[in-house]
Amino acid sequence: MSAPRDRFLMVAALAATATLAGCDYFGKDRAGVQTGYRGTAMEQVYNEPAVNAEFAKVVIPEALPAVPPSTDSGPLPWQNVQVLNDISVAEFNRTMVAMSTWVAGTGNCGYCHNLGNLAADTTAKGEPLYTKIVARRMIQMTRHINSQYPQHVANTGVTCYTCHMGKPLPNGLWFYASQNDHLRHYLDRDGARVISHDMSPSDKNRSSVKQTEWTYKLMISQSNSLGVNCTYCHNSRLFSSWEEAPPQRVTAYHGILMLRDVNTNFLAPLQPVYPEVRLGKAMGDAPKAQCLTCHNGAYKPLYGAQMVKDYPAFWGRPDWNGVPFPGRYMQAAVVDTAVTMADSVAAPTVEVAPIPAGTPATTPSTPSVSSRNSTPRSTTGTQR
Amino acid sequence: MLEYQNLFTRVQVRHAPDPGLPVRMGLTGARYGKGFFLSLAGRIGDAQVGPIYLGWAGILSLITGFIAFEIIGLNMWASVDWDPVQFIRMLPWLALEPPSPAYGLSLPPLNEGGWYLMAGFFLTVSILLWWVRTYLRARALGMGTHLPWAFASAIFLYLSFFFQPLLVGSWSEMVPFGIFPHLDWTSAFSIRYGNLYYNPFHALSIVFLYGSAVLFAMHGATILAVARMGGEREIEQITDRGTAAERSMLFWRWTMGFNATMESIHRWAWWFAVLTTFTGGIGILLTGTVVDNWYLWGQKHGLVASYPAQNTLTPEQQELLRGRYQGSTPDSFPSYLAPTAAAAPIMDSMMTDSAAVDSTAVDSTAVDSTAAAASTATDSTTSTPGMTP
Repeated sequence: MSAPRDRFLMVAALAATATLAGCDYFGKDRAGVQTGYRGTAMEQVYNEPAVNAEFAKVVIPEALPAVPPSTDSGPLPWQNVQVLNDISVAEFNRTMVAMSTWVAGTGNCGYCHNLGNLAADTTAKGEPLYTKIVARRMIQMTRHINSQYPQHVANTGVTCYTCHMGKPLPNGLWFYASQNDHLRHYLDRDGARVISHDMSPSDKNRSSVKQTEWTYKLMISQSNSLGVNCTYCHNSRLFSSWEEAPPQRVTAYHGILMLRDVNTNFLAPLQPVYPEVRLGKAMGDAPKAQCLTCHNGAYKPLYGAQMVKDYPAFWGRPDWNGVPFPGRYMQAAVVDTAVTMADSVAAPTVEVAPIPAGTPATTPSTPSVSSRNSTPRSTTGTQR
Repeated sequence: MLEYQNLFTRVQVRHAPDPGLPVRMGLTGARYGKGFFLSLAGRIGDAQVGPIYLGWAGILSLITGFIAFEIIGLNMWASVDWDPVQFIRMLPWLALEPPSPAYGLSLPPLNEGGWYLMAGFFLTVSILLWWVRTYLRARALGMGTHLPWAFASAIFLYLSFFFQPLLVGSWSEMVPFGIFPHLDWTSAFSIRYGNLYYNPFHALSIVFLYGSAVLFAMHGATILAVARMGGEREIEQITDRGTAAERSMLFWRWTMGFNATMESIHRWAWWFAVLTTFTGGIGILLTGTVVDNWYLWGQKHGLVASYPAQNTLTPEQQELLRGRYQGSTPDSFPSYLAPTAAAAPIMDSMMTDSAAVDSTAVDSTAVDSTAAAASTATDSTTSTPGMTP
């Protein structure tokens, strides 16, 4: 009678040991990092091999050789230079070469430029060169981000590569659609807060549970974009509390403000410039950015690689970690801005203007959509 | 013989199916079928299946329940464009959602929540009719009505999810039909009302829920443990010494000093089960109507432990960082069909006017960041009207 019982006990002991060993086995790759007061479950859980694998995927292109400081002043020796006209000739060329690999991925100037006439905003056939117009606006945007949002990008800054990573279309572009309606928080729908700041109900906060789910979706999209838990930015016992929130939430909040600015003033307004294939299927809107576009699943884009420090052309601030940039950039202050303006305005108004000011921007008859489709695109149409 | 009387019966007796007690026809209606034996059923309970009673309440309950089931299922199927593969694959995530907040308590079109209300109506009717059925059956058998009233407590919780939206004035508060969607709803409901864990009735409900599980485990284990003495024949044994009944009570008296009786243990279980859903329902009804943020309520009443601040933000800075409420007006719920400012182009400043461009490129020591931002805003707003279609 005792033999089966002994056998049972032995099997049970073995099973218990195996279970405990299994827990240890599955747990050995997990690293928990405490981020808040003890006992409040404020921690980040990382799967080390997975993070290492993601980290290994990030390729940081080697910086091009720096150019010697230049003392020349006055306008650049080219026509129709509307951006980057405050840096030296050598720095300008260096920046252009870098962009050809960062964005076009091919090192081919022809992705954005008419190779017969680099100054033109149109192809040899006279069709608008949308890639160049967009790239020009994106250069302004990059500087705008680096100069206006130090609270989000700090001294890491952004370059074209931060989002593009060698591809013409960055990840995470979004268009109006019912499935990603929550992303409109980054463009034309302010207000994600649903938790009342008063104990008793009032008309101040009429947010419903359904609206909470909208916010929830938005938050989860941020969580996925950064590869972090809710507790990276919130104390989950009261999500709305700033007092109990880790400092990362302030950084994230400035990121939301930045995205709203960037989408409203830079990305969405480019709608008339794009060919139809680049626009949203449902509403014909321009591609827009979200957290994922730059972060790509990492808590810091490119895991915090500081690329812009090698490219002063994209740095919108007058200093870099206290060290002034070399070259003409620093001398822009002494150049009369009015002169620079007049010089660079003259050419484009005559030559380009694919969509004259005053023309309804969304009218299909403006520079024909079909002709735009013939502009060079090497790796197009895969991101949608 | 002991094996036959035990809960997990290994010996199954076959005889002519037992039709049950003769009862008054007026109250009961007919029983359908003659009954048959199922070996599998006999392994977990009584081997005889049927006859079954339906009656008017049962039939109507099944019909309305079927209507609700069909409305929910067909709406889910329609949401994947009638694709049968996607329907199966996505089933856990598919939902029939309540109307959006824009509708308040008005009647929405069918595909914007009308189907939801209709499904909810038929499901509620079905559940209430099933309650009527349990009540009538209990009375017909001359039993007490403990079962219907316990069921009524669960129905009270179910109806709370209908009354709470009525009280706060929006259908959109209601629980969506769907497997994961209704779980997401619980999460969203808790977040919206400042963490339901600080709701004392939610806490009570959990106490009774966990308590029910503990009581059930204690009672079940006790009876099984004395089954070798015929412990399930409680009433026959209750007055005798040395019986299973006495031993099971002595076990608890010796273990924890107090024991329930053979009768009171069932009252314990009944009340714990009934109070789980009853306190839960009260917690729901108070949420959004009396208390809008349970965390703050808990803070006021000393429920919330205070921890050191996680950051160095001043109260003024915290105030600045507050966003807008999403639903300041009831009709502000997003509708992706009517986006505004999708393309408010600032083409002139973008392509030809580098005066506007320069404000974004902070190339002058004279321009500080706030001034640059202000001028950007001015430029874009002044140039927008001419370009807006």
